[in-house]
Amino acid sequence: MRNSRYLLYLAVLIILFTLPLYTGVYLLNVMDIILIYVALALSWDMLLRSGQISFGIAGLFGVGGYAAVLLHLSTGVSPLISIVMGGLAAAVLAWLVGMAVLQLRGMYFAIVTLALAEIFRVIIRNLPDLTGGPEGTVLSSAIFAGNSTRTYWLVLAVAIVSVIASESFRRTRIHFALTSIRNDEIVARSSGIDVFKYLVFIFVITSAIQGMTGGAYAHIYGFVSPEGSFSVDFTLLPIAMALLGGMHSTWGPVVGAVLLGVVSELLKLHIPYGHLLVYGLIIVITILFFPQGILGTLGQRLKKNR
Amino acid sequence: MAVLKTENLTRYFGGLSALNRVNMEFRENEILGIIGPNGAGKTTFINVIAGIYLPTDGRIFFNGKEISDLPAHKRCQLGIGRTFQLVRPLQGLSLLENVMVGGLFGKGLRQREARKKAEEWCEFLGLTDVTRDITRMTALEVKKMEIGHALAAQPKLLFLDEVMAGLNSDETIQMIDLVRKIHSRGIIIGIVEHVMRVIRELTDRVIVLDWGEIIAEGPYEKVSNNPRVITAYLGEEA
Repeated sequence: MRNSRYLLYLAVLIILFTLPLYTGVYLLNVMDIILIYVALALSWDMLLRSGQISFGIAGLFGVGGYAAVLLHLSTGVSPLISIVMGGLAAAVLAWLVGMAVLQLRGMYFAIVTLALAEIFRVIIRNLPDLTGGPEGTVLSSAIFAGNSTRTYWLVLAVAIVSVIASESFRRTRIHFALTSIRNDEIVARSSGIDVFKYLVFIFVITSAIQGMTGGAYAHIYGFVSPEGSFSVDFTLLPIAMALLGGMHSTWGPVVGAVLLGVVSELLKLHIPYGHLLVYGLIIVITILFFPQGILGTLGQRLKKNR
Repeated sequence: MAVLKTENLTRYFGGLSALNRVNMEFRENEILGIIGPNGAGKTTFINVIAGIYLPTDGRIFFNGKEISDLPAHKRCQLGIGRTFQLVRPLQGLSLLENVMVGGLFGKGLRQREARKKAEEWCEFLGLTDVTRDITRMTALEVKKMEIGHALAAQPKLLFLDEVMAGLNSDETIQMIDLVRKIHSRGIIIGIVEHVMRVIRELTDRVIVLDWGEIIAEGPYEKVSNNPRVITAYLGEEA
């Protein structure tokens, strides 16, 4: 049973890796977007497992993008390294603000993360000498000179890093700590869990993933701008995806990101901007009728039938 | 020898004193009852000892070391355990995993050892089918699980906050036996309880709190005849 599961993972991995062999550029571009959202939805869910709801995904995504592009331009480090450094920059920033913000809980934490994302955007917009101001900064060429296969491998790597992080957190003591904190902080503290330490840890790691993803995104399009890199889409869509697929798991957000990603591509072809309407409907229907998401609901059904 | 000792322990909530200059000690190998009317400060006392609230004034010593300013998780790791008046099971974790949390963080065990220890504690407590979902448990089982959760951190001193509440008389008898069994493992027990039969049967010594102050102390028989205690529970005669 366990072996067959690993074989399945391996097969999926091989198919994903060799995808460029049998598909065209268009599908690879769609996959790029989906994989970006896989990473964002997963990172959001990882923090949610501690009970903290972040509305600041776009903030760290944007900061990572800017950090990657600006570091690449100013120091001449390779785009790949600058993407990693974008993740590091977001991690350091998250650590600094986390010391204060993670004193807050629930709605207060959520609102402050939303405000922080906006503050990052406004600061970057108002430093024209450093960031290019409202126009943003354009790179002379996209990463890998726009080679769609290599670009796809890059975002695949980013998504795999997120999946590995998520799965390792699900299997180690971190899972027990975050689940306890989400349930009841007083019980968690009374059980020997250093609540603040774990919250800072998971906030920094998820922010690093968001920053790294932002760095990859910026280098793929060769461009950062206050409105583009900090777009509210990067906050709302990952949340919708994680809710649709099923919270508190690795595969829920992945399934949600793939489904919504595909649906939005199809809709874009037929009704431009109609995808936003459909997103809204999906969120409402999910929350009303199956708050556990697709995988969560399936899991419950399976348990009942046993 | 006193394992836990408080000196003038005081805790205010706003202008209200929930604990007022409380001096008490927990001695090696004893079961100490903490009783008093509703709002007397019994649960606040546990919360201040466990580090959920810091004292407004006064000091706490555990094994001779001052712990007044230590955060709750460190106090758990030092050996102060507690259960909760209202059960607070951890949703999303199985019965066994709930118990494991105590060993993982209270004792710093690795997952494999924590699992093995948790299995032992479940057996000790008479909990079976340990991988089941916690939504499928009786009230008594949930209480036992929470005791297991606390025991898995291997406390030296364990506070039981109204563990008998909501149990029928059969279950109460079972629980009294269980407390004796836990005590026989060398764990000091502080028991907050409204069921006087339990206090009478289990405790070596009783402390009575009223309005955050100790109004009586001694063996149950002596304390229960103390006029101040009777007044506290029943009120003044008109």
